[in-house]
Amino acid sequence: MSVEVAALIRQGAAPTPCAGRFVLEAEAWQAMIAGLRATDLPLLGLWSDGVQVHALFHHDPIPLVASVAVSPDGYPALSPVRVGAQGPERIIHDLWGIPAIGGRCEPWLDQGRWPVATPLAAHRAPTPGLPEGREFIDDAAVRQAGGTGLGYGPAEGNFRAPFHLRLGLPGARIEAVQPCMGYAHRGLAARLRGLAPQQAARLVARIDAPATVAHQLAFARALHNATGTAMPAQDVAAGVMLGAMERIATHLDVLAQAGAMLGDGRSATLAASMLEQMRQMCRNVCGRRLLFDVIPPAATFPVRVDGAQLATLAAEHASLHRLFWRPRGLAAQARGKGVLSATMAARLGIMGGNARAARKGQGDVTDRLEVRLGEIGASLALLAAPPESTVMEAEGGGEEGLGWAEGPAGLLWHWLRLEAGHVAAWWCGDPSLALAQALPAILSGAAYEDVDLIVVSLGMSATGADL
Amino acid sequence: MARLHLFWPEGTPLPRLEALDIFHIESGGCTGCALELASLSRALLAGNHPIRFVSTPRQAGMLLLTGSLTVGMAPVVELAWQAMPGPRVLAVVGDCAVDGGLFGGNYAVLGGVGVRARSSVSLPGCPPAPDEILAALVRWQTTEGER
Ligand code: SF4
Repeated sequence: MSVEVAALIRQGAAPTPCAGRFVLEAEAWQAMIAGLRATDLPLLGLWSDGVQVHALFHHDPIPLVASVAVSPDGYPALSPVRVGAQGPERIIHDLWGIPAIGGRCEPWLDQGRWPVATPLAAHRAPTPGLPEGREFIDDAAVRQAGGTGLGYGPAEGNFRAPFHLRLGLPGARIEAVQPCMGYAHRGLAARLRGLAPQQAARLVARIDAPATVAHQLAFARALHNATGTAMPAQDVAAGVMLGAMERIATHLDVLAQAGAMLGDGRSATLAASMLEQMRQMCRNVCGRRLLFDVIPPAATFPVRVDGAQLATLAAEHASLHRLFWRPRGLAAQARGKGVLSATMAARLGIMGGNARAARKGQGDVTDRLEVRLGEIGASLALLAAPPESTVMEAEGGGEEGLGWAEGPAGLLWHWLRLEAGHVAAWWCGDPSLALAQALPAILSGAAYEDVDLIVVSLGMSATGADL
Repeated sequence: MARLHLFWPEGTPLPRLEALDIFHIESGGCTGCALELASLSRALLAGNHPIRFVSTPRQAGMLLLTGSLTVGMAPVVELAWQAMPGPRVLAVVGDCAVDGGLFGGNYAVLGGVGVRARSSVSLPGCPPAPDEILAALVRWQTTEGER
């Protein structure tokens, strides 16, 4: 059935300058929705440029984008058949004022404090504002049980991007979860408009620090595709190496935090110490501890990193692995917490390490940490023996391009359209948006004390979700 | 002490630190500055230093902001400030917090708290490294002590 829906999208009337993107007539969009009901073709993203709405689907060998023109009433919603479309539909409504017909239109990003409504639309309207913020209505189960409503975020004194969760606890366990996003929204789509690609790249690098290389890479790929220029082999090789360094650092950060939260001081200290070595290595290789503005790489970028440092890290990784699996170690303590099932991951279009963990075991914190540990090992091996890289040929080249990269928390996407060499429209799909939507399911049944650990293990970052 | 490379390789001797409880809020940046603060916090904890990051403003003497101050976070920052007891000071760390940096004012962002409020510690950088942040805090403590 996936094949049939894909064929239906490909029959889209107008070919577009973007490889894999097809514009559907309204009837064909409806037929696609009907087809999606019977298939599991994962939806990875949904966005608008004000004129059309675009839906990105995971399909081998290249992703498919189905577009439909926005009518005065909006566009037929995908959320009835793809629950992961709910967040993006509400974001499109917040930013453009375009409603999803048959979907929900409550705000997702706009908490009523923006001075203008629909900031990306051509005709923006002032808003009265809601200084009291948003009202939460507790779910019936929580009210009947006379339970407690607890808040989590946006300021917990930690070192993560701000978001808020309203948690309903009828008893000892969390039953109802309402995420409130938008605290970290910086209006990136509006900021990138009209910028030269080099200026835009500096902002893209600062979407989300733990995944900066992945964002830079996906943006660079989209740009190469839009301009029809191939990515040189040296840049491809640098992307692979820098991506591996970022993955190691971010995973170690997660392990250090998880260790500290679960009171496993030995794991926490070892992971933190390895993390500092990685930051030092990044400084030696690129001149900076965090890998901002490294893509495209400098001409002097080394193809290899220091072997002795890598050997030390590999030995420490082996110790971390042993500590993880020792009796009463992190693995035993995190078992059964924060389950993200494979079905839920597929339904929400969650890919990457979180999805692999879900398929591998039950999808709990232990599985996710184990996947991260495994990826640290694989990335260290990759740094020790970098694979041969070849030129990445461009796809398309008609001033519009899509690019992707796998970040530490999953696949992320950048799409852009150029006009006269400047960014005219841009979209970024970050895995954290799907993770934020999955939180109600993942946290249901959890203890309040475990919320922090579960959020950290997922690698969810509000700054990537809100943009 | 844990082998945190903040003071590595030789281990720079630290000046005498005074006790300081810091409440940190990431007010809408890329979290790069927050990552560096996390490194600093771990190193301070591992070394049993009297500067520490706390999880509630009610315990804190310093409010340390990173990020460009989104309109959503402005009331949160205000509430945290009001919740801090006794003498309190404000620190802004990173270009975003100092003057908005790459994320200047727009419909969603106020563009840094450093240009709106008087801060005791103001440290630019995108991001400043942990040792620079610590040096700025110590510098402030030293000048404060001399007054
Ligand atoms: S100053 Fe730079 S590193 Fe710090 S939060 Fe802002 S963009 Fe990120």
